[in-house]
Amino acid sequence: MIPTLQPASASMRRTLPGGFPMQLILGFLLILWIVLPMAPVFLWSIAGQWRAPAVLPSSYSLQGFSALITPDTARAAASSLSLGFGVAMIATPLGYLGAVAVRGLPAVPGRAVEFVLLAPLAIPPFALVMGSNVALLRLYVSPTFGVILVLVVTALPYTAFMFRSALASYDQRFEEVARSLGASPGQAARTVRYPLLASAAARAFFLAFLVGWGDYIATLLIGGGQLRTLPMLLGSAASATGNEQLTAALSLTIIVPPLILLAGLTLPARVRGRQ
Amino acid sequence: MTSRMTPGTGHAALLALPAVLPIVVVLAVSLVAAALQSLGLMPFIGPPQLSGDAWTGDVQTLVRSGLASVYIASISTVLSLAVGFVLAAYVLTMPRMGRLVETLSAATIPIPHLIGAGAIGLLLSDSGFLDRLLGMPDSFPALVAGPGFLAVIAEYAWKESAFVALVVLGSISRSVGDLCDAAATLGATAGQRILRVVLPLAVPSLAISAVIVFVYTLGSYEAAWLLGPVSPEPLPVRAVRLFGSVDLAARPQAMATALVTVAVSAVAILAVVFLLRRFRSLR
Repeated sequence: MIPTLQPASASMRRTLPGGFPMQLILGFLLILWIVLPMAPVFLWSIAGQWRAPAVLPSSYSLQGFSALITPDTARAAASSLSLGFGVAMIATPLGYLGAVAVRGLPAVPGRAVEFVLLAPLAIPPFALVMGSNVALLRLYVSPTFGVILVLVVTALPYTAFMFRSALASYDQRFEEVARSLGASPGQAARTVRYPLLASAAARAFFLAFLVGWGDYIATLLIGGGQLRTLPMLLGSAASATGNEQLTAALSLTIIVPPLILLAGLTLPARVRGRQ
Repeated sequence: MTSRMTPGTGHAALLALPAVLPIVVVLAVSLVAAALQSLGLMPFIGPPQLSGDAWTGDVQTLVRSGLASVYIASISTVLSLAVGFVLAAYVLTMPRMGRLVETLSAATIPIPHLIGAGAIGLLLSDSGFLDRLLGMPDSFPALVAGPGFLAVIAEYAWKESAFVALVVLGSISRSVGDLCDAAATLGATAGQRILRVVLPLAVPSLAISAVIVFVYTLGSYEAAWLLGPVSPEPLPVRAVRLFGSVDLAARPQAMATALVTVAVSAVAILAVVFLLRRFRSLR
């Protein structure tokens, strides 16, 4: 997810105009830009009372979080998790196959496959969902399966792109050495190729998981209220007024699992990068 | 030696099928079904009847929705590119603070737009966090649900600038250092290095992220729905409202609105592809 950066070269370090104080101010402004929108979410999630002119809450409580401990929220969390993992487990291997195919095909059909793999990025998800909805209903496709199908199509450009860029720098000769040492094609794939592509696979899986985990519009339109995920709960909490604590606590509940997953995916790579 | 990594053409075509087939089927089915429904040929109930009412009946509001969406997407794209480029330049040039900025910015990527919209709502609404920080001045503008879609644009610019920074960093971080050193040796000042080296290097990745951000914000529903004014409705908000309407006659209009969104996206993509080709031939 996060590209491993080379250390700034000597001239790069002197490239921002304005000298040290200006650079410090710019850095401060950029951090403010990134962090400020999340500040009220953190504060509201632990606020007890927070009336209008007060800059900070006058009392703190965990009522937002305790309001979340209900069977309804637990079911929604389970639905969100299975939607995320379901989309990721289908879209990751399909993206891998697509990327391998693009690499193996001659220029023109390869381009065509690449075009198809990127095409879902060009269609707004709500249009995709609305158009296919009647067809899915007529074919008696269950709402859950319909949502997964549409979200897999939405996620495929990301997973295919991750494997495309990993394969672009992949050295075929590693596998050839393994084969010449007597490994079967399957062994060469298991012991050489998959470990080398593991970090790309993890990133692809993460992105596809996010597509399912954070989806609102496909679940809303195809799920038709039957599939209640965490974003659906958040949507109804956020569109009503006076639910600040619940909205904030629910928001954090939705953000934290992917952030833990992201840290788990990127920290090992960084530690290895430093060694 | 034939290896499975570089499969033969037939084999490769077979490998492509599991990924290509669902995309082609879902895209074709949804676009064709949307077109048929917008023309009354695939009604929810009742006999099909060809009619162009959904397209010609309420052209004015459709155009107003389209203009609102293009306005939101254009301003959001320009802001995301500007802030995203500054973020990337800062990360590249400042070793320690840059690392912190990079990590924080990347941490916002997994946040869904629905949550971003909720957060911006708590920040920018009347008597929201920013209003309180400023001491509740009477002149605080109506950012949420007000004219100009300012809160919607702020949400997109916030989320998408981190995305732009990520794309730009990923594409130029390898080559930019050496080229800047070379330019510095030849006497380029700091400002010249940013404008003549870093910016041109970043143009292709900026153009690609521009089209992705534009198409995404054009078709995104959550922020426009939560933070936008009641009227004019951006295309996705109008389409979803008509789609969910109890009046089944609204369905064709919803489909026409969705197809207009697809068409505007296609025009934007073609324009950027054309401009990128021109840029490459110029170099």
